[in-house]
Amino acid sequence: MYLKPLIATCILLVSFTLVTQAQLHCGLVSFDPNTSESSMLTFDTPTKYQSGITINGAARLKIRVLDKNIADPLCSWNLTMLIDNNPGAGTPNNEWEQLTLYGNGLSANPLIQSLEIRVRNACSTSPNDGVYQTFTTTTDIIDIIAALLPVTPAGSCSNNVNGPGDYISHYDEFHFDIDIRVIPKFAFNPGVFQLNLRFHLEENP
Amino acid sequence: MKKISYVVAALLIFGATSVKAQLIDEKDVTVTMDLQPVLQLDMTTPDQIEFVFDNINEYYAGITHYGATILKVSSTVSWDLYAVGRSSGTNGAGFWDQQIDYGSGNNTNAIPNLPLSLLELKQSQPNNGDGASTGTYSDYSAAFSPAGTASGQNSLYVNAGTNTPPTLADKYIGGHAGVTGTGDFLPGGSYLTQTGTTSNYYYSIDYRILPGLPAIFPNAFSADGATAQDIVTANAAGKYAEPGVYTMYVQYILLEDQ
Repeated sequence: MYLKPLIATCILLVSFTLVTQAQLHCGLVSFDPNTSESSMLTFDTPTKYQSGITINGAARLKIRVLDKNIADPLCSWNLTMLIDNNPGAGTPNNEWEQLTLYGNGLSANPLIQSLEIRVRNACSTSPNDGVYQTFTTTTDIIDIIAALLPVTPAGSCSNNVNGPGDYISHYDEFHFDIDIRVIPKFAFNPGVFQLNLRFHLEENP
Repeated sequence: MKKISYVVAALLIFGATSVKAQLIDEKDVTVTMDLQPVLQLDMTTPDQIEFVFDNINEYYAGITHYGATILKVSSTVSWDLYAVGRSSGTNGAGFWDQQIDYGSGNNTNAIPNLPLSLLELKQSQPNNGDGASTGTYSDYSAAFSPAGTASGQNSLYVNAGTNTPPTLADKYIGGHAGVTGTGDFLPGGSYLTQTGTTSNYYYSIDYRILPGLPAIFPNAFSADGATAQDIVTANAAGKYAEPGVYTMYVQYILLEDQ
């Protein structure tokens, strides 16, 4: 009487195993280095508030995506940006995390969308290369190289290069400069606020 | 049955150890923003503004210095701006300091205690953050009154020689008392980005002193503009200001809305 469900479970497990094993196409997918970085934007004059602060090269992403020993033609990757504002501390999903507040703070805390991020490299491999982009809420995901695109091999110096390669042999395609800019103007509470910008590199299934 | 269970368990272990997601790596960039509060009052004004009354016309009509002080505000927070009359207190709190007494100084009708509120101010731009005001005069934007009409609409705010902020009944240049968030502040901003002929962040201040004859300073009034503080009202009929040199100063205070 238990035989039929057991057989069904076995078939399901086997198929699950097969599917998950089929996802690996690359031998290595990594940032080099993948240590975290930090940037401090200090607004202490009206001019800075009005014109903003830009940090060019706030981070540099150096990517290595290597084939397996036996090259798989399906090895490709995608790169996305996410934002984190420590929601566990009760931060609304569209605001910077408040670390401290100066004075009365009658206005609103800064919005996530006040952080502008620009990605660029010499080959303009990202379709959004050189364009400042913003997050509206923490649920937004911004593609640098979108997922599930056809494989564009390294060396083509074109949009969406996502084949295997690395920043040593193809620097202009596997290296991304990240620029950040904030123009708060005069709309937000004075205080210290923080956001975590996360770059997510993943091989395509 | 037992054998089949073993097989299932083995498959489960096999399945669990065989699960392989895509290769992933992540890198974080922490961005910290320090929004320091900036309250900046740029003031263009002579070191000293002199009112020399040396003929009768000046006593009657007063002396006005137009645009003697220019105030320019830059603030990252909601703000209030007010002027307060102050002195060293030589003649007592709330009075001008008498530096020199002309003549014998023995006339009992000559009063050396001149109220700080005899100085009149006129701001070029009305206070657009005064909705919460409960007083007769919320700012100094009214034109100077005619020489023959006593009025407290432009008399300088004084609080016994201190720099304590005015109340809801008193005058502010910009913003007003209270933190209700409605009608009692001007929002953060800067004169640097303003366009047009007027701005809440730019004020030209005119000064007037009207002694009158006899010199009783009829436009000296209390902080709320309701009570006359001229020499006669404050002392007695027949009294007048003692000739001499007097000094005082106007303190402009820009502060976060409170």
